[in-house]
Amino acid sequence: MKKVIKIVLQISVLFLFFYIGEWIQSSLSLIIPGSIIGMLLFLILLLTGIIPEKFIKDGLDLLLKDMPLFFIPVTVGIVNLLHVFAGKGLLMLGIALISTIIVIYTTGLLTQKIMGKEE
Amino acid sequence: MRDIMIGAVFLILTIILYILSKKLYSMFPNPFTLPIVTVSVLLVVLLFYTPISYDTYMIGGQWINFFLGPLVVALALPLYRQRALIKKYAKVIIIGISFGSIVGILSGVVLTILLRFDTTIIHTMASKSVTTPVALSITKAVDGNISLAAVFVMIAGLAGAMLGPILLKLAKVTHPVAQGIGIGTASHAIGTAKVLEKSELAGAVSALSMTITAIIVSILAPAILHVLG
Repeated sequence: MKKVIKIVLQISVLFLFFYIGEWIQSSLSLIIPGSIIGMLLFLILLLTGIIPEKFIKDGLDLLLKDMPLFFIPVTVGIVNLLHVFAGKGLLMLGIALISTIIVIYTTGLLTQKIMGKEE
Repeated sequence: MRDIMIGAVFLILTIILYILSKKLYSMFPNPFTLPIVTVSVLLVVLLFYTPISYDTYMIGGQWINFFLGPLVVALALPLYRQRALIKKYAKVIIIGISFGSIVGILSGVVLTILLRFDTTIIHTMASKSVTTPVALSITKAVDGNISLAAVFVMIAGLAGAMLGPILLKLAKVTHPVAQGIGIGTASHAIGTAKVLEKSELAGAVSALSMTITAIIVSILAPAILHVLG
């Protein structure tokens, strides 16, 4: 029971940072999502040791381990978009695929070349 | 009261299917058996062939969605843990990830413009290389289509898991750091999971790349879209 309370509290910390990030984003009208602002704030507190890793790690590792679960409801939303994928819509999927291939190939190659030169 | 019951049913169904799909994936590890693929396909088929609507499903699904933003905050932890690696390979990591992030936005957006898609689709394509919660936040900010964004992100992830190793071989990319940057920058968590199977260093760099790509794209995508229309 004690462990459950601890994990709930650790996950609540994430919500706290998320809402602080959202609040900063909306009050300053920033283009960076509130979740990213929350992450950067949280990272700063970890790096400065204000929040020690052991205080939050169990709850966070629990969430991170099963990250794909949280993407499922959004992905299921394609059920309302199936008509988009007929005809020209298939081209969109092709673009996403080709763009990804370009990124992996060129980025991997560039990085390998830089490292080859340095070593 | 009725809504709570319906919500609970779909929440529990999603979690049970996810647990079962993880077992399936551990028995048959394959891009087609990734839990996000199998569970999503099953649920889409269920909603398509029954009178249950997506909105009804989401009475339960919204409880899972509720965690998407906080999950991005949680990514600070792996980033914190990899801080020694970040220092060691700082220069090449920054150059590689910046390059890959920009190529990812530009290649997707330019192709979409060339094929004359409308503004919503162009804006949705910009964030396909980043992890889902971040892609959804960016897509919201640039007025794209959130469900479509999740589909593009999934394609980017699966393409990396399935084709990534072959592409890196073709390009003669042998260093684990270069492999991690290539796949992590293009294919976020799904690609990272695949790279991690082979090399811990490549996996760690991929996780780092996916995090930094998320930050770079969330800053650059709105700016690039603003310039390109």
